[in-house]
Amino acid sequence: MKIYPYKRLNRPVVLRVTSVSLKLSDGTRDQLETTAYSTQQQTVALGIAGHTDWVSATIGLSATLPPGANAPDAAWSDLRVLAVLTDRETNVRTSADLTRDAEDGRDWSGSLEVLRDDHVGRASLAVYAVGTVDGVRGRSIAETDRSWLVDTVSDEPVRGLQLDVQKASFRKSSREWLQAYADAPWIVDTSARVPTVFVNTDVEGVIGLLDSNGSGVDSKVRDLLVAQMSTDVWTAVFHGAIGDLEVEPGGGPVFPTDWQGEVLREMLPDVLPGVQVEEALRQVHRRRTGESGWVELQTRIHYAAVRRADATKALAYVIRSLEQMNRESET
Amino acid sequence: MARLDTGEEFGPWLARQLKLAGKTQAELAQELELTRAAISAWITGRSTPRPTVMADIAKALGTDVGTVHTRTTDTQAGLPITWYHRPGYPDGGRDLGNAAAFAFDADVQVLARETCQNSLDERLTENGRPVRVRYTLHELTGEALAAFREAILWNDLFPHYSAVSESAGNQKVGRVVDAGVRDMYEKGRLVLLRVDDYNASGLIGDDYADGKFAAVVRRQLESLKSGPVAGGSYGLGKATLWATSALGLVLINSTLSVPHEGRTQRRVIGRLELPWREVGGESYAGPAWFGRPDPDSPGARVARSWWADEETVARLHLTRESDEPGTSFLIVGAHDVASLEEDGSGADDESMDDGDTRDISRMHKRLVKALGRDFWAAMTGGGSRLPLLEVSVRALRNGQVVVPEQKVDPSAEQPARTRALRAHYEGATVDRLLEAGQVAARGVPLKLPLSGGARGTLGTHQAVLLVTDLANDAENGDGAQNQVHSLRGNRMTVKTAGVPNLPLGTNPFQAVLLVGEAAGEAAPFAKEAEEFLRAAEPPEHDRWGQTDELTLRWSPSAYRRINALTTEVNSAVRELVARPKRGASEGGVALRKALTVKTKPKAKAPSGPVVPVLDGLDATVGDDGEWQITAEVSIPRGDEIVPMVPVAQLDVRSGGRPTLDWAELVAVEGCEVEDGVLRFAPGTRRAKFRGRTDVTSHPVRTMLTRLVLELRAGKGE
Repeated sequence: MKIYPYKRLNRPVVLRVTSVSLKLSDGTRDQLETTAYSTQQQTVALGIAGHTDWVSATIGLSATLPPGANAPDAAWSDLRVLAVLTDRETNVRTSADLTRDAEDGRDWSGSLEVLRDDHVGRASLAVYAVGTVDGVRGRSIAETDRSWLVDTVSDEPVRGLQLDVQKASFRKSSREWLQAYADAPWIVDTSARVPTVFVNTDVEGVIGLLDSNGSGVDSKVRDLLVAQMSTDVWTAVFHGAIGDLEVEPGGGPVFPTDWQGEVLREMLPDVLPGVQVEEALRQVHRRRTGESGWVELQTRIHYAAVRRADATKALAYVIRSLEQMNRESET
Repeated sequence: MARLDTGEEFGPWLARQLKLAGKTQAELAQELELTRAAISAWITGRSTPRPTVMADIAKALGTDVGTVHTRTTDTQAGLPITWYHRPGYPDGGRDLGNAAAFAFDADVQVLARETCQNSLDERLTENGRPVRVRYTLHELTGEALAAFREAILWNDLFPHYSAVSESAGNQKVGRVVDAGVRDMYEKGRLVLLRVDDYNASGLIGDDYADGKFAAVVRRQLESLKSGPVAGGSYGLGKATLWATSALGLVLINSTLSVPHEGRTQRRVIGRLELPWREVGGESYAGPAWFGRPDPDSPGARVARSWWADEETVARLHLTRESDEPGTSFLIVGAHDVASLEEDGSGADDESMDDGDTRDISRMHKRLVKALGRDFWAAMTGGGSRLPLLEVSVRALRNGQVVVPEQKVDPSAEQPARTRALRAHYEGATVDRLLEAGQVAARGVPLKLPLSGGARGTLGTHQAVLLVTDLANDAENGDGAQNQVHSLRGNRMTVKTAGVPNLPLGTNPFQAVLLVGEAAGEAAPFAKEAEEFLRAAEPPEHDRWGQTDELTLRWSPSAYRRINALTTEVNSAVRELVARPKRGASEGGVALRKALTVKTKPKAKAPSGPVVPVLDGLDATVGDDGEWQITAEVSIPRGDEIVPMVPVAQLDVRSGGRPTLDWAELVAVEGCEVEDGVLRFAPGTRRAKFRGRTDVTSHPVRTMLTRLVLELRAGKGE
């Protein structure tokens, strides 16, 4: 629980994105449709228009402060509202001043410039209302409770992080390292910006099976294959995330911020049920770096991956349709 | 001279008074000592009597000279206002209720929809002004109730209600009426729901012959609508008036737009809908009318409408606020059974007001909501267009205001849609949505079939689709998002449907489809589309689809044209609000879906020691600059409780948080402190502790820090 040593507003600021436009390398602008952002998912996808050559994006913003922000007896003065874009990977923070829409109103608006070179993936966008409290300038009075995500790459404004899937002929790929795995149907690379699954096109029919969207036995087998693959992927990304933790001065692990953080937050409750994620992370880290307990944890990690992959359901469907097939051939 | 300040022409008035009094022209001539020809000349309007003769006429009719001069009311001569109950059928047939009324439950929202639609249909279009509709909920108790009962001759009606109540057990209508009468006596109250419209045509026409009056008062399932755009077409709507009355009783006062019998104001009649009954040895078919006995009817028993004076109208709670044409319906004993369904989920409500179907505040709320939902478009104007409709709702108790008159504001009830329609009227729509709050317009084709079962297409009507995203959360109101409201010429919402197959994360939107004459005069085949869709509406007016009329006039497959329109609309909406699907994603949809990090329900916690969590925190900065905290801990039910270590840290923007040392850690209740570790006795559910940080471990001035307190299991490193 967090406590501030001064008076603040209890309720959060509400932030909305109202427009998105891209500045291209030839100096022209492309105003994107409102489908470039999702107010439900609170996500902006700058890759949606398919431009490869954009230089910067201008995001139109509108923020509403909670009631009481303009109270005449408020403990703060010199109220300002700032939009802050934070990229934890590149450690870049960009801020923009918003202006009040109407005298004494609680709505503020403005726009934020996102330079493409400052970011590699996802940055989070929050709004802070700051003021001078007890003579200290720039103290935060209220913030947004849930940040917007600005994804500079994605072509879909969805919040859930999507792992990348690529197909390649392992034998003939320009990624030479793949040749070592020429006899594997798929391989997971957790060192990329986003964990990537490479599917080997040399294994005949694998792509066809994955792309199939019928409803017969094919689709059941496809689901089983997908379950098998994703069990592998989830296990690999968990190990990738836990093996690369930053450590606090006191020795405790720091919760990662990018995809690793998202994966851990999602899987830890299954690895160590009934424990808060921060605490679970400390325990897992202790077991991995300490003398004992790491081996015992493998079953739990496997279990968490299987749950995420919906393996039980996929297996049950395959078995049911096999039984059905057998019955039909008998009659 | 006799024409100054007068109501009706003298001739027709006198003719009616004679009829009411049961006198012939010859008898009057004799009494006045004049020739029959002189009387005849008055009645046909060829001459008027001299002032001195006026007094004699008044005497002969048993009234005062003033009434003869002003002629705004009938004389009280002749037969008094009374109830006429239709006698039982000679063949012994029994109607145990009005079939038209069975189509509806007592629901003020359905009533609002039907009555408002009628008023829209009867709007006087020449002056371009909207029709004004006002709903008044009026609860009567005590003396006011007694006075009203006297005005409607309750004592004459009561035997009929008793007769119905006695046989209530086996008839639906009987049970409702029985409950209505009991509620009035047990709770000592009666709710009147009055529906007034102004700038409408009023109930014009003869008492019996074809006309709007007879259609509403005398007949069932007859619809005489004023134009091809009209919303109603079945003549079922009026049945909702009687269905809403627990007593089956509706009183009517109409100001006519076209004079009848030379008059326009205060045409009054009441109609009662009861099932078959036997009273005093005589059987009655069902309906009854409250009016003046018509001397022309057999035995002068049938009650017809009468031109009431202001005092009578006031006693019947039927006073209209101006002489603008229109009709007032007074539903006596209004109840709202459907409101119960609405709060069926809230068990708390039930205990509070015991499911009262006659709560006027709640009915008020439900009326405003329904009117906003169904008629927001008719109430919206913009550009050169004026709104067609203005509606207000109020609630009174014995004449005292309970809920003040509230004008239904479309931009408050349906903000996003109203904004969209206004933008359309003002020509401020765009092709693609680029900014929040814009309105996109799109033409959508409706291919009209040839009538009479012929194959082929008559023509393609261009409907207008308006789509806007919700500029902010408040715009959503409490309705569902992502809905298309479809309307035609009368601009009542006919169909409300969601758009299927929207991708995840689509921005919430609202859409409006204007078809037929609503699409504008310039739209091709607007009239034909209007006719087609009107035929495709069921009595509820809540969708377009297969109907008998559609099958008969066009063909059995004609409804498919509407399905095709829906498909076109949905794809146009999706195209506007959802991003286009770009190149096939590699690895198939199923795999991509499986590899999305999304929240799953968490696994169940294993049995074993339970882990306490921090539940409340109060912290202040002490005089020496140390943090002083008081924290509350809640503990899940369990035999063994894990010892916890409270850790105080300072919040930072990135990197590890600096930890503060404790100068003091004291248990307040429910726990013990031992070497900085909190220990809990088995079975404890809540605990509290206090602490003070060691200032020397603070890296910066305390006033510039944010404190984070955590409970950690084990050693707490």
